[in-house]
Amino acid sequence: MFEQLFDSALADSAIRAMIPILLAALGGMICERAGVFQISLEGMMVAGAFAAVGGSYLVQSSTMGIVFAMAAGVAVSLILAFGAVTRKGDPIVLGIAINLFAFGITGFLLPQIFGVRGVFQDARIDGLARLPIPLLSDIPVIGRVLFTNTITAYLAFLLVPALWVFLFRTPLGLRLRGVGERPGAAQTLGVSPARYKYAAVIASGVLSGLAGAQLALGNVVQFAENMSSGRGWVAVVAVMLGRAHPTGVLGASLLFAFAEALGFRFQGNGLPVQITDALPFVMTLLALVVARKRFARLLDLTTASA
Amino acid sequence: MTNELELRGITKRFPGVVANDAVNLTVRTGEIHAIVGENGAGKTTLMSMLYGLFPPDEGEILIRGERVRLTSALDAIEAGLGMVHQAFKLFPTLTVAENVVFRDEPTRRGFIDRGASVARVRELAERYGLAVDPAAVVERLPVGVLQRVEIIKALYRDARVLILDEPTAVLTPQERDMLFDIIRRLRDSGRTIIFITHKLGEVMAVSDRITVLRNGRSVTELVTSETTPAEITRHMVGRDVDLGKRATAHAAGDVILSVRDMVVLGEHGRPVVHAATFDVRAGEIVGIAGVAGNGQSEMIEAITGLRPVERGEVHLGGADVTRAEVATRRSIGLAYIPEDRHGVGTTHHATVSENLLLGHHREPAVTRRGWFQPEAVRQRSGGMVARFGIKTPSVSAPVATLSGGNLQKLVVARELDYAAPLLIAEQPTRGVDIGAIQFIHDHLLSYRDDGGAVLLVSAELSEILALSTRILVMFEGRIVAELDPATTDEPEIGHFMTGAHLDAASA
Amino acid sequence: MSGRRSVGGYVRAVRTSPVTFSLVLAFAVGATIVAVTGQDPFLAYREMFAGAVDGSGLRNTLARSIPIVGMALAVSVAFRAGVINLGGEGQMVVGGLAGTVVAIYTPGPGAVVIPLAMIAGAAAGAAWALLPAYGQTRLRLPILITSLLLNYVGRAITGYLVRFPLADVSVTLATTRQVPETARMPKMPVFGGVSLSIVLVVAVVAGLAIVYSRSVVGYETRMAGYSGRFARYGGVPVERQTIGVMLVAGAIGGAIGTHLIIGESLRFIDGELVLSGLAWTGLLVSLLAANRPVFILLAGLLFSGLQIGGLAMQRNADVSWRLAQVLQALVIIAVASRLTLRRLRRREVEQAEVAEVILEPAHVGEI
Repeated sequence: MFEQLFDSALADSAIRAMIPILLAALGGMICERAGVFQISLEGMMVAGAFAAVGGSYLVQSSTMGIVFAMAAGVAVSLILAFGAVTRKGDPIVLGIAINLFAFGITGFLLPQIFGVRGVFQDARIDGLARLPIPLLSDIPVIGRVLFTNTITAYLAFLLVPALWVFLFRTPLGLRLRGVGERPGAAQTLGVSPARYKYAAVIASGVLSGLAGAQLALGNVVQFAENMSSGRGWVAVVAVMLGRAHPTGVLGASLLFAFAEALGFRFQGNGLPVQITDALPFVMTLLALVVARKRFARLLDLTTASA
Repeated sequence: MTNELELRGITKRFPGVVANDAVNLTVRTGEIHAIVGENGAGKTTLMSMLYGLFPPDEGEILIRGERVRLTSALDAIEAGLGMVHQAFKLFPTLTVAENVVFRDEPTRRGFIDRGASVARVRELAERYGLAVDPAAVVERLPVGVLQRVEIIKALYRDARVLILDEPTAVLTPQERDMLFDIIRRLRDSGRTIIFITHKLGEVMAVSDRITVLRNGRSVTELVTSETTPAEITRHMVGRDVDLGKRATAHAAGDVILSVRDMVVLGEHGRPVVHAATFDVRAGEIVGIAGVAGNGQSEMIEAITGLRPVERGEVHLGGADVTRAEVATRRSIGLAYIPEDRHGVGTTHHATVSENLLLGHHREPAVTRRGWFQPEAVRQRSGGMVARFGIKTPSVSAPVATLSGGNLQKLVVARELDYAAPLLIAEQPTRGVDIGAIQFIHDHLLSYRDDGGAVLLVSAELSEILALSTRILVMFEGRIVAELDPATTDEPEIGHFMTGAHLDAASA
Repeated sequence: MSGRRSVGGYVRAVRTSPVTFSLVLAFAVGATIVAVTGQDPFLAYREMFAGAVDGSGLRNTLARSIPIVGMALAVSVAFRAGVINLGGEGQMVVGGLAGTVVAIYTPGPGAVVIPLAMIAGAAAGAAWALLPAYGQTRLRLPILITSLLLNYVGRAITGYLVRFPLADVSVTLATTRQVPETARMPKMPVFGGVSLSIVLVVAVVAGLAIVYSRSVVGYETRMAGYSGRFARYGGVPVERQTIGVMLVAGAIGGAIGTHLIIGESLRFIDGELVLSGLAWTGLLVSLLAANRPVFILLAGLLFSGLQIGGLAMQRNADVSWRLAQVLQALVIIAVASRLTLRRLRRREVEQAEVAEVILEPAHVGEI
């Protein structure tokens, strides 16, 4: 049974589940480093998913879908950027409201534009193709799992080391980290915190939009209402669990994706779908308990200790 | 000698207050110039304009004879001004080198050239005698080293004028002397130093010339070698003030607070207070001296109930309160003036009255079976405002409108009003103007005279010496000395504060 | 402890308040969205308004306001004390199922079963809220996250229970049996038959308003909400309080969930309770009303009207009811972004920033 359970199909399923979480979480990580409390990943992801399907449907090209997805992510992210950075509003309230706004507007536009309710599926939607990397994709097991993937997946893989280099080896990355830690200090040295925070939020919009594109065009090819189903929240936790560090975030995302994939597998083996649905969230809660020291900052920010 | 920096007729207004009123300042190249004034005299506003936070409403700034407009920190840096703020502007998790080169990072093909950063820092450190380790992470460094990092930051940007804001507030006497050496060395290398302070001893020790500010105006310019602390004080305050020793001998009564072998854990789970043992009796003021970060805060938190006690015991008024809640300790008889008046002592979201009520709010005088008596509450608050001269339009005014000094008066008023057997006062006069300092000192002394037990924690050695009946020195979580204020002095206290006594012992 | 204003003062305050501006702005943006998708916003809004207040619309608005105001009260009780409880959904469904089960399977007259069911629902909701509460006070896990994650777990558990042990196999839906007639929450003969629960809700609003303004507990929670460190310093038992407010919030949520079944849909159908996002609407109402009970009542009625009107708008003007959700979110975004007609001029903003720096407490010696 063990071999049946942990096979390459599971690994494949886990990787595919990981991509949206990872992309969103990397966006969240950038915001965390810039000192912006970003909990609207869920909303931006759903907006991206909707726009991806829309764009792909209109032009019958998944590439256009990706472009639309990123644009939608950016558009939604600007609400947080303006509200929290320019107007200095509470990012928690804004984040929650933005999530609800995104659910609402995608739910609203679905029947208005595409004339359906609940789920939008159509042969004209061009899904993201799985592109094999020559040579590497021929390696047994890993070849299929890692090197035969969508373009958004490859982007996600590349972003992990790229963001590491950016954060820890480039001047812009250093300044971003400084802004996040002590905006006042950055200001006295001539680095504008507002500018970097804006850039960080917009970046998270792009990445969450891409996450939505992967969800709606990569894993399946459709848009369903509230399609993100909590993945954005899982991404928020992944950022904290991974201590806003690229490899940590990768590890955390993989952990949750694995739980999700395992859940699907259990479903296939006859366990009720409700239990398997709950599995990633239970896993997240367990991770929270085990690594609770890493959530000290979140605790301070969200409890009565301001 | 040219004028390196000149401020002419600088005026800055904020809603309701004129922070700077036609201030004139002349600093000559290559001199050490002190700007003195009590809290609220306008020093901070003046310095903020010099580092480009905002422009003056009127007046002009001249650097080496040329008018400049400073609209941002970059302008100030480019004009050759280097600020060392009172609250350090450093990034805790970055290294010394990263902090220094921030925004002016040496690069190689787009990436930060870490080797070059470290080398440059090391070079500056050696040239000016500022011992720092470029690769060390800032949050692990002691305060004295952090200040040197700030100075190197300014030098890295070729600052010709270094402005130091209250630089010795956090230093031990020995570190302060080292800083003075550094300042003199910098002056000898051709730079100009301005430092802002209210400590006259330092002004006399190291400055060449002095500008005195009072109520937003520049009152006078003095030559250090030709003036005296008394004269300076008279200009600062407008009247004669006696700052001499005030404690009188007093017989101590019963033990009110008893701490035995107390161990307290810090943020990382390691002990920051080791086996602390001491008593505080009725009718005495016990002063705790020590460099910030040696366990004093954690010890006080453990005594007040805001932090758990790992081992050992705390007894208050005879009762064992080691595991008791804050509310229990307060009702047995504990009042506490906290160090952080903004984050802990008050909340700016509430009104003056609500802030004054906290801690009293369960007393029978204002509450009956869980419900407030609004009239009694009003009377109580009104009484405290009147007795302590808290300047506020009404008790329903939001506390956010109070100035720093008034806010402290609010906290002091509230805590003294309990007439609790034990009063703990942490940095009670920090950031408060001289008049209020006297006022608070008088109240603390009469509290003691009325039989209260006072535990005083302060970074101002002059305050400790002036008020304490006994002095305990804390170093690395341990009480390393008990001194008699009548026979000790600042250098001796400083000796224990830095742990020098340990080095001497092992030598 | 706050002063009283004249009527003129109130009118002026409403006209210039950020809330009013936000409402106007939200409706304007909503109209734009509708227009862009090729439909008539005025028709849409007309149908929305009519649907909320005409005839049976009023009854529906009042009926819907029960859970919205209720969930908003639940959130506000916690929020006021500085506890961010996002677990309203979970508390509502878990409590709702428990109450439903008691209502269905407990024999006896309505006068006994109905209160019993409500209490059971409240108790179950409180128990579900206790999990994140303990998580924070004992294990330092932020309630913000744990309460939210438990929503999904709660939905999964109730979904399972409803499909298997408690299922009504005679119906194709995933649902429990129907609540027997005797155990249903009665309707009052006013406004076309509004549920008795509305009395409960109004009572809770009044009770909370009094407790907040005059009682020690109200004062302590308010201070804790402003600053936990300040409250703790003053002897307020913040940990106990966190658990207390979560219990109350969960109890209200569970009672509301129970009401929604025994007073309205009469069956616990998997997923139905969360379909319209009641808990989230309640959250938005609480934010809009700044956690003040009377304002919650008013804002709750407003948002309820939006939702009911939204459904009517969908029926009659063919504009998706989700627009109501969009409008609600926009109002909150606008309020949270502190948008007002009194546009802060650049200099004022500068002054405010500068004053912040000047009055900033000097963290002497810290970095």
